[in-house]
Amino acid sequence: MRDFLIGLTFIIAGCITIYVAQQFPTIQSLQYGPSLFPSLVGGGFCIGGLVLALNNYRNSKDSLQRIKLEKNKAYDWKSLLYSLLPAILIIFYILSIDYLGSLLTMSIMMFILMKVRKTSTISAISISAIMSFTIYYAFSQYLLVPLPQGDLFGEVKQWML
Amino acid sequence: MDAVINGVYLVFSLEVFLVIILSAIFGIFVGAIPGLTATMAVALLVPITFYMDPTPAIAAIVTTSAMAIFAGDIPGTYLNIPGTPASAAYVSESYQLAKKGRAREALGINLICSVFGGIFGTIVLIITAQSLAEVALKFSAFEYFWLAILGLSCSIFISIGSKTKAFLSLLFGILLSTVGLDMMSGAPRFTFGIADLMGGINFIPVMIGMFALNELMNYYGSSSEKKNIAAMSKDNVFSKAKGHIKNHWINMLRGSTIGTLIGALPGAGADIAAWISYAVGKSRSRNKQEYGKGNIEGIMDASSANNSGISGAWVPALVFGIPGDSITAIVIGVLYMKGMNPGPTIFMDGSGLIYALFIVFIIANLMMLPIGYIAIKLSKIFIITPSRVLMPIILCFCIVGAFAINNSIIDIWLMLIVGFVAFLLVRNGFPMAPAILGLVLGKTVENNFMSAMMRTDGNFLGFFSRPISATLGVIVILIWLSPLIIKSFKWFYNTQNHKA
Repeated sequence: MRDFLIGLTFIIAGCITIYVAQQFPTIQSLQYGPSLFPSLVGGGFCIGGLVLALNNYRNSKDSLQRIKLEKNKAYDWKSLLYSLLPAILIIFYILSIDYLGSLLTMSIMMFILMKVRKTSTISAISISAIMSFTIYYAFSQYLLVPLPQGDLFGEVKQWML
Repeated sequence: MDAVINGVYLVFSLEVFLVIILSAIFGIFVGAIPGLTATMAVALLVPITFYMDPTPAIAAIVTTSAMAIFAGDIPGTYLNIPGTPASAAYVSESYQLAKKGRAREALGINLICSVFGGIFGTIVLIITAQSLAEVALKFSAFEYFWLAILGLSCSIFISIGSKTKAFLSLLFGILLSTVGLDMMSGAPRFTFGIADLMGGINFIPVMIGMFALNELMNYYGSSSEKKNIAAMSKDNVFSKAKGHIKNHWINMLRGSTIGTLIGALPGAGADIAAWISYAVGKSRSRNKQEYGKGNIEGIMDASSANNSGISGAWVPALVFGIPGDSITAIVIGVLYMKGMNPGPTIFMDGSGLIYALFIVFIIANLMMLPIGYIAIKLSKIFIITPSRVLMPIILCFCIVGAFAINNSIIDIWLMLIVGFVAFLLVRNGFPMAPAILGLVLGKTVENNFMSAMMRTDGNFLGFFSRPISATLGVIVILIWLSPLIIKSFKWFYNTQNHKA
């Protein structure tokens, strides 16, 4: 069933790719325009998706029993949610670095991830603080990557002065 | 000759040796931790190599990949969990030996076979690359088009599992390669008005997303972190190695040969090389019944194959610019970044970089012996290192690494989106190697196709007008028809049997 849905998703993605590719400008002097390869990829998505969906549909009789068994089992939503945690934290990083700064954001992320895996609070705080400082220092001082300091750092600095 | 001397000068510096030692330690560490692959180690290293000179940058990648592939055997032996997919083929053999108190003996022979395989593959690389490059100099857009198509086709047909899924994975990679300004018309494609995407998709965030973020998401999705350590042995690492080599040297040689050949096929890589070599070794062994119960022959076959596969993958990467596996796909990106354009002309630039690369390969493999020996002695450290502490650090490295390439937040978004798609695809049984090859070779296919069509005024028969091009074209067609040919052959054979 899952392959059937994935096949359908690829067919939709293929149609969208072809549609977007058709909007690319064409130049009369060129026989093949910029839309050729994206359209071929879109076509490939449609064909591959169709094969995947049809194969799954053809095997559906064999897998009917398996689907019934799978229905009885509760889907492990908790594990799926946990697997999305790194992605959610990356979005948190992108949205908060301008204010919190790279150093603090990295520390918070590391702390959350360590706590999720049941690391002791003291270890989680100390390791996340040391490691985020090491990464921040190595990249900003040695590799000269302009990692944002954050507005909060500026505000605290001003307040302290 | 001057180029060779230049190459020697480039390698024999304190900086390069320091980089080799640090990369060796990094490679051993990453490879020895289950869940962290050799490709992930290289992907994490790329943002740092961005700031290095070409020779140390290449030295770092070569050393890390070779060390990580060997180190994958350490958790395989003690925990029955292969550190990298390349160790999966023979993990049961080494684990069974560990349970008998022969862990160090197994790891010792693993190490010797890895060094032998790596050096064997390097010698093949040195001998074949230059002569192949002379042939490749005669190649035009037609030949390069077919060669890239051949690489993409191999990545589908060699992959394990559903070929349809491999095909879709490949198309995903090709689609990513079409983002940016079109070479012929200059029209922007799939850029959605984002200026940072005009130059195309940045290779490094995509790699980090596909191999590091994807693994991280898998890790947090899995529930268990229990490690059942087989008895820690106190036996000597190399005491029985001499006897094993004397009795089974043919396994080492065969494994290295198979590994180099499989490694040179685009999309195959060290893990497939190890599986094939293990299967061939088993079919030829007199002690088939001993396989799976701790047979040293299986280890020797597969362990030499995975390291020689790493070197073998460099042959098409250097000569034609076509990666043999996902590591060389990353390497090609690094070589371009360092102004070393992979292809036959790489042997003619006179700077000696290519010879420096060969020397680095030999040094990295030789260094594996002492560093690997120390790693075996200190195996416990790698095994008890908790992933729950390492994974958050790796996530931060991923973010900062992706950002560091262009100092752009867009690259972090790119890493996130690609990593998320890769996670969904891998979770549903899609292989990732074809996607990487699609991304690397997509532009080569399109640009050479367009140039060739302009030269022939749109006549597609032009692709069969030159001997090498026609031969490559026929090989590609045969590969695509191979499932049909095999099916027809089986049908014919069955009908004949029924009649008889």
